[in-house]
Amino acid sequence: MITAGIDIGSITAKAVVLSDDRMLGSKVAFSGYNAQQAGKGIFDDLLKELEMDASSIEKIVSTGYGRNSVTFADKAITEIICHGAGAYYLNPEVRTVIDVGGQDSKVLTIHSNGTVKDFAMNDKCAAGTGRFLEVMARAMESDLDDFGPLSLRSGSPSKISSICTVFAESEVISLIAKGESRENIIAGIHESVASRISSMARRVGVKEPVMMTGGVARNIGVVRALERALGVSIEVSEFAQVNGALGAAVMAVNL
Amino acid sequence: MTDTDKEKHGKKMQSDGKMQKIMTGYYIDAKTAGETGKKVAWITSGGPVEPLIAMDIIPVYPENHGAMIGASKMGADLCQKAEEMGYSGDLCSYARADIACSVVDGGPIGGLPRPDMLVCCNNICGTVMKWYEVQARYYNVPLFILDTPFSHTKYTDEAKRYVQRQVEEYVTFLEGVCKKRLDRDRMEEVGRLSVEAQRLWQAVLDTAMNKPSPMTCFDAFFHLALIVTLRGTQTAVDYYRSLLEEMEQRVADGIGAIPNEKYRLLWDNLPIWYRLKWLSQKFAAHDACLVADTYTSAWCMSLRYMTDEGNFLDSMGEGYARAYLNIGVDEMIKIVLEMVDKYDVDGFVMHSNRSCKPYSLGQYDIQRAVQKERGIPSVIIESHMVDERSFSESQTETRIDAFMEMIGQKR
Amino acid sequence: MEKLSDFYEAALDTEKYIRNLKVKGKRIMGYMCSYTPEEIILAAGIHPLRLFSTKGTISLADAHLQAYSCSLARGVLEDALAGRLDFLDGAVFPHTCDTIQRLSDIWRLNTRFAFFADVVLPVKLDTESARQYMEDVLRKFKGDLEVGMDVRITDAALKQSIDTYNRIRSSLNTIYELRSANPDILTGSDLYAIVKGSMIMDREYLAKRLPEVIEMFKERTPSTDTEKKRIILTGSICDQPDIYTVFEKAGGVVVWDDLCTGSRYFEGLVGTGGDPIASIANRYIERPVCPAKHTSNTARGERLLEAVRKHNAQGVVFLLMKFCDPHDFDYPYLKEFLDRDNIPSMLLQIEDPLQSEGQLLTRFETFIHML
Repeated sequence: MITAGIDIGSITAKAVVLSDDRMLGSKVAFSGYNAQQAGKGIFDDLLKELEMDASSIEKIVSTGYGRNSVTFADKAITEIICHGAGAYYLNPEVRTVIDVGGQDSKVLTIHSNGTVKDFAMNDKCAAGTGRFLEVMARAMESDLDDFGPLSLRSGSPSKISSICTVFAESEVISLIAKGESRENIIAGIHESVASRISSMARRVGVKEPVMMTGGVARNIGVVRALERALGVSIEVSEFAQVNGALGAAVMAVNL
Repeated sequence: MTDTDKEKHGKKMQSDGKMQKIMTGYYIDAKTAGETGKKVAWITSGGPVEPLIAMDIIPVYPENHGAMIGASKMGADLCQKAEEMGYSGDLCSYARADIACSVVDGGPIGGLPRPDMLVCCNNICGTVMKWYEVQARYYNVPLFILDTPFSHTKYTDEAKRYVQRQVEEYVTFLEGVCKKRLDRDRMEEVGRLSVEAQRLWQAVLDTAMNKPSPMTCFDAFFHLALIVTLRGTQTAVDYYRSLLEEMEQRVADGIGAIPNEKYRLLWDNLPIWYRLKWLSQKFAAHDACLVADTYTSAWCMSLRYMTDEGNFLDSMGEGYARAYLNIGVDEMIKIVLEMVDKYDVDGFVMHSNRSCKPYSLGQYDIQRAVQKERGIPSVIIESHMVDERSFSESQTETRIDAFMEMIGQKR
Repeated sequence: MEKLSDFYEAALDTEKYIRNLKVKGKRIMGYMCSYTPEEIILAAGIHPLRLFSTKGTISLADAHLQAYSCSLARGVLEDALAGRLDFLDGAVFPHTCDTIQRLSDIWRLNTRFAFFADVVLPVKLDTESARQYMEDVLRKFKGDLEVGMDVRITDAALKQSIDTYNRIRSSLNTIYELRSANPDILTGSDLYAIVKGSMIMDREYLAKRLPEVIEMFKERTPSTDTEKKRIILTGSICDQPDIYTVFEKAGGVVVWDDLCTGSRYFEGLVGTGGDPIASIANRYIERPVCPAKHTSNTARGERLLEAVRKHNAQGVVFLLMKFCDPHDFDYPYLKEFLDRDNIPSMLLQIEDPLQSEGQLLTRFETFIHML
């Protein structure tokens, strides 16, 4: 059975095509203004790449913020459930999933059968999300993609105590003014993000193995900081960013 | 001013060391209560401690502990731990730090000794009641609540009768837990010592009327510990008597608390415990001395209502019920204006404390009243008193600098 | 819906409804807490009106209350300062929480309504002295009302008012029970309109109207759809009709609640024998407790579990208003009670106005999916 999952996030849209237990392909693009177009666009592009026809896809599940705008999907399911399903597909042993995206971060625990047991989500506050990192990258005049490798070179991460994104930004600016090294500041930023997420994770209770998904999982600095904060090792799949779409495709199998 | 003049100001107080010694001894006693067979009661800072002292129960103050956690900069970690336990980050940071500390035995003294009972007086907030309910469930020990009706405009006869009945219920509660009777003569003696310590504490604070002031509110925050924890003991009376002597000597020698007192300020609300040094240096750099505060004087407020000293149990109720945080905003305005005049201050520093709604909500109205009645500048700085994660140093610095510029221009 | 248009109109355009009452010569008394002894106000011939947060933006209130006070306190103050509550003859502030205590001072110092009263109720409710004090305070309030509003409140009027309230409260209870048994006979927004309307509309009218509503519901045929997940809401107030709709969209149905604007308002009737003030005092001592008051350390947890069992609920949603300390303190232990019995729960922090429907729906759908 061939299924597809389409994840319309706040920043990027993702699509995955799945043939039974095999992932045929995946794609990531910016969402843009129009969620409906983003869904259609990425789906068509992926099909073109795979040289497949839309009629060959039996079931489609949409997920993410724009899930209800994907009118051609058979069903819309929340990204929380889909991230659980995606992680379970990649590694059925996984019990905790930490998904950090552009404007949301979520922690979910899953039962041994892959269904979601409990979850927590950030409140309306950017601390502990991809947005927080973006703001900091701007303050540092750095490329966010360099954050991970740079932070690993830090000898002693700076202390950034404020939870509030605006206050934390001014802390970062004063650290720059004091001549603190770029590596240490970035490592401090990662610890700040990790501290928010680990607090949320402990609220639902962390069970190993732990997998991290979402775009921020590509930042090795955040992953390491989270491992230290939680005292566990964290698995990051090469499909971390498309995990929600993958989960949607998995959910489509059982529609 | 000559250099020798400069040197004599801003000197450390001799009493500082004495205080540290007393508090260390007090916490050792409390932590070893299990071995000495004494009972331990946790009590709120505004609660009636005197009957505990009279019953030989060791009073322990989670709020004082909270202040210690804050001053040791351990608040953020413990507060975060509480959030992991499900407590909202918007809640009082004393409560969050204490609740987490019970579970992890953290903090500067490795946690407080386990309580045999909890005594909660809601004259400072509704938060303490919820906080003590949490601890009553955790430790599974009896909780006594002294419910002091809020006196928005006056202390009603109904409230007075209710509080009076509860004072007797309180004694019965203690007698039940300790399985012994309260010695009423001892009670009166403890009451007398409590009133005496409060008078001495007020006299210490009053020395700040001198110019230059021999002490700052930061000193008061430090020396406050005994009037909170050991009020009703000879130790507290002796300590404050010697502190008063030291202050009076400073006044006689013309020693000021800061090197060059040019401006005098009034502080409102609890301290920002993890930034005491930073704040005091910040203001001193502007030649501004925070000579008084609305917080530390709250522990002598009951003197206003202590009508019958010969009968402490009967007269303490009103003093406790009419605590500074249990009265209306207009009553608070009156007290603030009295302090502005008494200490002859040039400006008003208000700490808008996310941890303390009864203290902070209404501050904007108080600020306007002070501006209107006395025409002095004011500044508001915001924090959670022991959770530094909500504090912005650079923003606070900007506000203080601008405020001091305003005061300077006014001169 | 059209059959309940009187409730919808009052709930959605309260100002219009109250101004109409005012034209008919009614005097209006505002309040914000379900511990307000409405029976005494009604017995004085005055119309009690529960105040909800503003539907406009908050700006005037920001000059008096910090951003870390709840949107209810800030929103009601905003309406008062903006003149949108000028139909009020006065307001009553029972002792509620730290925020409402201070709001009472700010209100007294910054508004100019003819009447104002603090009703400084006991905070602990589990002792005889507290019961006596409750009675004393209510008697004092009756006196304040008589003097301030120039009325006489007779025992006969009190008994009449008690009877009216008992009928309203037991009717609301019946409607909740009917919905618990057959969730489809009325929608969540209908329920919201009825409950909110009951705190706004003329009480004599309600006492007659609610039994008619009950008859109407009884005639409806229950659906056989058992797919919907049964949810209990717990928290402070819910002035968000959208929440019910979003829930239903996500496949759930609210079968009971522990809300100040819900079961805590109507559960517990006033005894009809003996001294009316003493009977009213007893009702407020014994009614389901709010977290800002104290009965026992576990009363609310036990009550919540009982409601889950009684109404066969599959999950509990905590609807907590941001910056509401009493509820925030109870949440961890209530969740622990639920966890111990394997009852799934979800926490939602709300503010007026409601956060984007998108995130709400994501959370609700996920939760319903989990059940």
